[in-house]
Amino acid sequence: MSTVSLSEVCKESVFTAFFKNHAKPLRNFLLYKYGNEDQAEDMAQEAFIKLWQNCASVTLEKAKSYLYTVANNSSLNEIAHQKVVLNFENNFSGLDRTNQNPEYLMEEKEFKNKLLNAIEKLNETQRVAFLMHRIDSKKYSEIAEELQISVKAVEKRIHLALVQLRKEINI
Amino acid sequence: MEDNYFLAKWLNDEMTETELAEFIPAADFDQFKKIKNYTNHLKVADFDEAKVLEKVLNHKKANPQFIPMFGTGILKYAAILVIVLSAFFLTQNLVSDTQYAENGKKTTFSLPDASEVVLNSGSEIKYKKWNWNSNRNLELKGEAFFKVAKGKRFEVTTDLGKVAVLGTQFDVKARESRFDVTCFEGRVKVNYNTKEIILTKGQSVCFENGIQTNSQSENLQPEWLNNEIAFNKANLKSILGEIQRQYNVSITVKSDYSSDLFTGKLPTNQLDIALQIIAETYHLVPKKTTSNQIIFEGK
Repeated sequence: MSTVSLSEVCKESVFTAFFKNHAKPLRNFLLYKYGNEDQAEDMAQEAFIKLWQNCASVTLEKAKSYLYTVANNSSLNEIAHQKVVLNFENNFSGLDRTNQNPEYLMEEKEFKNKLLNAIEKLNETQRVAFLMHRIDSKKYSEIAEELQISVKAVEKRIHLALVQLRKEINI
Repeated sequence: MEDNYFLAKWLNDEMTETELAEFIPAADFDQFKKIKNYTNHLKVADFDEAKVLEKVLNHKKANPQFIPMFGTGILKYAAILVIVLSAFFLTQNLVSDTQYAENGKKTTFSLPDASEVVLNSGSEIKYKKWNWNSNRNLELKGEAFFKVAKGKRFEVTTDLGKVAVLGTQFDVKARESRFDVTCFEGRVKVNYNTKEIILTKGQSVCFENGIQTNSQSENLQPEWLNNEIAFNKANLKSILGEIQRQYNVSITVKSDYSSDLFTGKLPTNQLDIALQIIAETYHLVPKKTTSNQIIFEGK
């Protein structure tokens, strides 16, 4: 019954659990979109505040889509896109960990830089979908739900992102 | 294969390398593999989740502006059913019940406590069935005879005065400015303006324009129940009014109204005799123009 889940979101324990599951992915989504960490954090915070304030009228099942709708809408009048600050995991050193050949290491470093630049050059929709999959390990269906588009559209964006990345790296 | 985004399927491990090889050259494939591998190790800076959560929870929850009452279909129908049933119940019990007796007719009915009421012609009674046993209250316009079952205070309210009893038989008549109450059994309390009178068996009282007249009666029932109307010092206008109601006729008098008062009985089932009695008393000549149109002319 809806009245049960109505109060559920308002329960601090339920809300906290929900926050822990969704805060980082939401903030990351905003980060991929706008490239500014502070702004992404602020906007994620704003979306959660709105959810908290209106918890009585939002069911737990609807909370996630509520969150992303607020985030999507609030984005409109924000500042221009900045460079997405991405990094590789500290202990990640390419395909061949045993190869410490300086030439190989140079090549590897170069490839990493090219890849990051290529990601930066992707158009916004492709980059957001691509990074949500690669960094946040989301399923295409989840991405589709959050961006409020079809799974097919997500696949298209990912596919085109890969084509574009390879093209950019090879220049 | 325009809408088959095979790279997306491969990236999502929905397609094996061998399958992918059918779509793209081996050299390209190595690069895609490298991109997949490298991007698998991308990360972004963490942020202070606990701080954000604290800030969020510090905001006050808004009062809910809209709470859907009926989430599911079955509840909706249950609610509608409840509303319909209670509306039915309310109309049955809370809304006043009204009983009429048209001109020329009498209506007998029972109240919820088995008290009996006989309405004389051209009368109306309003009462509420809801909680009747502890609130026996009726509104009367016209004349009615009551046989009240024993119980709590029983009240008859009219425009002219109020009658309250415990368990008895009595007649109340409130016509124009004349208020008549006759007690046939037990005790009856009559309120008229500020006056309060107790009637016992066989007593009757009449108020007209503030003047009180008491009288005695040997009858066990009001005469009108036996097809007679009794008048006690009644004027011509009220007598004609009664005849018009009893016989459902209309009477016009083409002469001055006499101020003489009449005491006596008139039948309510023989119009010609009743008219004859009036004619002789007041020295008038009755003429029937149609079956329900009567004109009295002066002699």
